Amino acid sequence: MNHSTHSFNLSRLLQLASPALPVGAYTYSQGLEWAVECGWVHNEQSAQDWIDSVLSHAFSSFELPLLQQQLMAWSSNDFSSIKRLNQKFVASRETAEMRAETLQMGYSLLRLANDLDLLANDHKAFFEDTVECAYPTAWSAVATRWKVDVTDALQAYAWSWLENQVMAAIKAVPLGQTAGQRILFNLGAKIQTISIAASVLDECEWSNYSPALSIASSLHETQYSRLFRS
Amino acid sequence: MTSIACHQDLASSPANNLCAGLPAWHGSLQLDFAHQMDKTILARRQHNGPLLVQKVLYPEGPAVCHSIVVHPPGGIAGGDQLTLQVNCQPQAHALLSTPGAGKWYRSANKVARQTLHFELDQGAMLEWLPQENIFFDQSCVELDTKISLASTSGFIGFDITCLGRTASHEIYNQGQIRSKTEVCIDGELVWYEANRILGRSHPNSNLSTLSGLANHTVSATILCVKHGLNKQVNDAHLVACRSCPAENGIVGITMLPHVLLGRYLGHSSASARDWLLKIWEILRPALADRDAETPRIWRT
Repeated sequence: MNHSTHSFNLSRLLQLASPALPVGAYTYSQGLEWAVECGWVHNEQSAQDWIDSVLSHAFSSFELPLLQQQLMAWSSNDFSSIKRLNQKFVASRETAEMRAETLQMGYSLLRLANDLDLLANDHKAFFEDTVECAYPTAWSAVATRWKVDVTDALQAYAWSWLENQVMAAIKAVPLGQTAGQRILFNLGAKIQTISIAASVLDECEWSNYSPALSIASSLHETQYSRLFRS
Repeated sequence: MTSIACHQDLASSPANNLCAGLPAWHGSLQLDFAHQMDKTILARRQHNGPLLVQKVLYPEGPAVCHSIVVHPPGGIAGGDQLTLQVNCQPQAHALLSTPGAGKWYRSANKVARQTLHFELDQGAMLEWLPQENIFFDQSCVELDTKISLASTSGFIGFDITCLGRTASHEIYNQGQIRSKTEVCIDGELVWYEANRILGRSHPNSNLSTLSGLANHTVSATILCVKHGLNKQVNDAHLVACRSCPAENGIVGITMLPHVLLGRYLGHSSASARDWLLKIWEILRPALADRDAETPRIWRT
């Protein structure tokens, strides 16, 4: 890959991973806000432990390998795999808020992709037939269209997830900006390893098991005072 | 006989396998329930090996057929395979339970497997209310559950997972459990869960992670499924479910379009069971249009 191609893709990758992407990611804490409310997360260390536990388990052994499979499927126009994985992801969102979150973000990203005329015709046709589009499904379509390298894409996706969780912790715990940067620095160091491991994880090894996260997300639905939608 | 390599290191000592030297059991049971003249009957049963049903009971009248699935050996060792297939024909309503805890022994180098396959035809209802599964340290287990519903059928299922024999202070240290649950309505996947539980000594163990098991030894689930369930379960049901406390545990209830999920994390299978039964009592009228009658086996 020559230098000019690489920098072209890097800017696309940064745009896709940016918190400025108008998909509303900042409105979601994924149960973290309830974990703060009930005292499981109460300072910098426990915030890092919580985010690490999600990153290192359900995220890296389910969401990330699924995204990798979707990236591969888009690049070979394997629409039946994309559809199957999209259904699997939506069916794996086990609380009302987790489900609403991925569908809203998927919808918003698709709308943006249409507004910017990013999608090829056969991709557009696929999405027109897809009633419920998960966020990784839409995201992987755009990343493929922009010819982002698969491993780079996984790292960027994991990074933007991590950054969003840390921003949520800064608001919800609350933490200072330096503490937030320290968590990003510490957990960011894992992202490359996690992404490489996720890209070779066999589908029968995937696990979305995170019962405490599921309960936190369920209880967040009725939390009295909330900043976040999940 | 299948023999799948699990943890080589588990086989290091013969004492590690409670059933060393015994042949593996393969048990399979197929049950077909049918609805005839306002009565649900057990129209067909076919069993192979040590998995059977006792005689059927009608404690709440002829519409609902209660039966108890029995596994006479009592425990499941490495290499054993249990397969339960249940078909509920149109309008049939069956309630299945088990007589006692399922014990999953420590395993020597072989996986113990359980396959549950439930097929529910139009208007059918299945309640799968087994007692808890106790996973001994060093057990190596694969659980595979598939539930296929028609657009007007309903399902309620319990699952109580106990990690280690906590009564004797055993810690789930070296085992691993893989469990997969798929629920389809009219062939469309509406619920999917892939669980991998790794014992405490595993570098990637999720027993003590904050968002995982968070140091709880008992994890339990109630899963209620019906097409458009969120229109049948109203706010009053949800408020009632959410105000059910669990002793020594944390619980959460969430409502998806076709699935209601309740989860418990704690340290007591008895408190998990009490909580699941309370939720079941609230939701059974919404799903099955009849009041809950706690199976006698659960009251002992």
